Amino acid sequence: MGLTNKQIIELNELCNAAVEGTQTAEQRETLSQWLRSSAEAREFYVRAMGLSASLFSYAGEMQADAPGPVPARPAGAPLRLVRWLAPLAAIAAVLAVSVWVGHRTKPKTGTAKATTSDEFVAQLTGAKGCRWADAATPASGDHLHKKQRLNLAEGFAEITFDSGAQVILEGPARLDINSAWDATLYSGTLKATVPPEAVGFRVAGPAVEVVDLGTEFSMIADGGGTTDVLVLKGSVEAAPQNAADQQTVLLREKESCRFDESGTSAVSDSDEKFARFGQPEPLNRFAPPTRLVHWSFDETAGRTVKAVAFGARPGSYDARLESVSDDAAASQHPAGRRERALRFDGKLFAKAAFPGISDNSPRTIAFWVKVPKDAPLSNAYAMVAWRAQSTQVGPKSVHVGWNRNPLEGTVGVLRTDYGAGFALGATPLRDGRWHHVAIVYVPGPESGAPVQVKQYVDGRFEGEGKPSPPGRRSAPATTASEDGASAIDSIWLGCRLGISGPRKERFSGEMDELFIADRALGPREIVRIMRENQLSQGSLPDKSK
Amino acid sequence: MRSEAESRRLLMALMTRHQRQIFGYIYTLVPDRSAAEDLLQETSLVICEKFEEFEEGTDFVSWACQIAYWRIRYARQKFARSKVVYDQDVVDAVAQTAGEMADDLDERHQALAECLKKLHPRDRELVLARYEPGGGAEEAARRTGRTIQAAYKALGRIRKLLLDCVSHQLAAGGANGPHE
Repeated sequence: MGLTNKQIIELNELCNAAVEGTQTAEQRETLSQWLRSSAEAREFYVRAMGLSASLFSYAGEMQADAPGPVPARPAGAPLRLVRWLAPLAAIAAVLAVSVWVGHRTKPKTGTAKATTSDEFVAQLTGAKGCRWADAATPASGDHLHKKQRLNLAEGFAEITFDSGAQVILEGPARLDINSAWDATLYSGTLKATVPPEAVGFRVAGPAVEVVDLGTEFSMIADGGGTTDVLVLKGSVEAAPQNAADQQTVLLREKESCRFDESGTSAVSDSDEKFARFGQPEPLNRFAPPTRLVHWSFDETAGRTVKAVAFGARPGSYDARLESVSDDAAASQHPAGRRERALRFDGKLFAKAAFPGISDNSPRTIAFWVKVPKDAPLSNAYAMVAWRAQSTQVGPKSVHVGWNRNPLEGTVGVLRTDYGAGFALGATPLRDGRWHHVAIVYVPGPESGAPVQVKQYVDGRFEGEGKPSPPGRRSAPATTASEDGASAIDSIWLGCRLGISGPRKERFSGEMDELFIADRALGPREIVRIMRENQLSQGSLPDKSK
Repeated sequence: MRSEAESRRLLMALMTRHQRQIFGYIYTLVPDRSAAEDLLQETSLVICEKFEEFEEGTDFVSWACQIAYWRIRYARQKFARSKVVYDQDVVDAVAQTAGEMADDLDERHQALAECLKKLHPRDRELVLARYEPGGGAEEAARRTGRTIQAAYKALGRIRKLLLDCVSHQLAAGGANGPHE
């Protein structure tokens, strides 16, 4: 016997209240009675809840497709790290478990045979119905390398470049990944979404090179030398490559242009194409989980800095302030980027136990930092340091600080030293302002593979480390005791790290909202941490718990 | 016996494809987005830990949902602040129905895409603002210039519209077929 219309209306209201969290105790009890006693009511309820679950999925897809800044978390809102798409724990758990318990697991690497560089510059972050024309078949989550060719026979593949630009490739299509900032489309269709941090991303085709000035465009290359460019949002500069007239064309929102050997012309079916590309394409996205530790530095006194860990190995990650008296410690908690920060006065440093940090595994470090304008060179490093047991370079310290060597780059820019190489940024940090910095550290999985480091400042990708020479060891292997076991599996803040512990050099400045993740976060995840102080993955317990 | 690399790849493929369905199952039993996401995270970790026990070729979603069920049960018993608001007998009854309706729900998900396209743009804007990451009824109300009460009312109406649309579409044979 089916439900009557009146019963359906009542059930629908009860389901709506459950979905919106406005359910009264009485409504909950009434709904519970329905669910206990009526199979039809249960079916209705399951469909209603399934509808909401599907709407989360579709809305998440559409937001992921949409460019533009993510709204900041309201001040005072509880800290959460959960978003719908994220908790794909199992995948990274294969990786992450090994990361945090010390096993060695091969990190994700591209598999296409066209790879001509070890350096990854993008990641395959989504797919739907993909069939690759080559024998090699990149899977969701695989890193893609510089100069790698993607030959997609059919389906959709979403590529997120390290710059943050995102391209959805529709097969059949051929695309070369040139760097974090550019690609070449030989044939097929793509839709590029470029957030503010990746403005300047470019795609070249046989007849045109398109430089994005922000937001979203599509390109269709017919493989015969003709390329259509359609601007869905924002604007692009399109430079004809083959035409006698090579004057750059500025295309604005809802404008389109056809480029071929003879020059430029109108896209005859542009309305249809705009309609088609305006529709988001739901993809299956790879969203691995992240095991995170977070120090908010919101304490107002004392020498202990509380950490909140999610998914990490059990234990306390609390940091302890050193080289400071209890009384003086109280003055080291100024107003920060969010609530309180930790001030490093050139003497103070902090140390926290961090099981697994020294393993040969990828990780991301992100935090806010304010460096005084007059910070002396002697206080250049390190903001964050740890001892890495790198397969490639032996036991070495990794230091994140700012550059003090004018022969190697601009003084004051973000600098990461990691044994056999270093990365330099472009934005001077010594300006007395808050900057968000993130370092993605990816050691090679085995001897012969290079360490890779990618830096982000204020959400913008700047500064790739030059990969360390394959197989080079800058220091002979040592035993744990020779290497200073006390420095292993600890994270150090505000000091330079020697073999057995902190050296005399100290950092001067302020730090806030430090996150350490157990994998290489993508550019959009880094921007989310910067803007929202949270990540689309996993949840942190409330600090009050 | 799968190698570690094969196991990782298979796990990735299965989770990428079926995460939505597992989330849907959890959300049905715990209709609170944040709590359901937390439980999905916990479930995923257990799936990984137990993945060696999964027999390739069998029903992954069913296997994963069993793990989710036990995580929900555990959360309900363990945490006083758990968002699992229903009594255990209700959870059990709904879990059984949800398990039996898994295929039906998958078809409905596919059909929903078409129904969303048919919505009036203003309604579509409201419902997407409500459900997008970081969204909610209040945000949707603000963005569409409604009061919160008006937004609740409109959302209830739109959800019913979509439920009916999906049912009609499936009755008319309009499902797009299963996901790849």
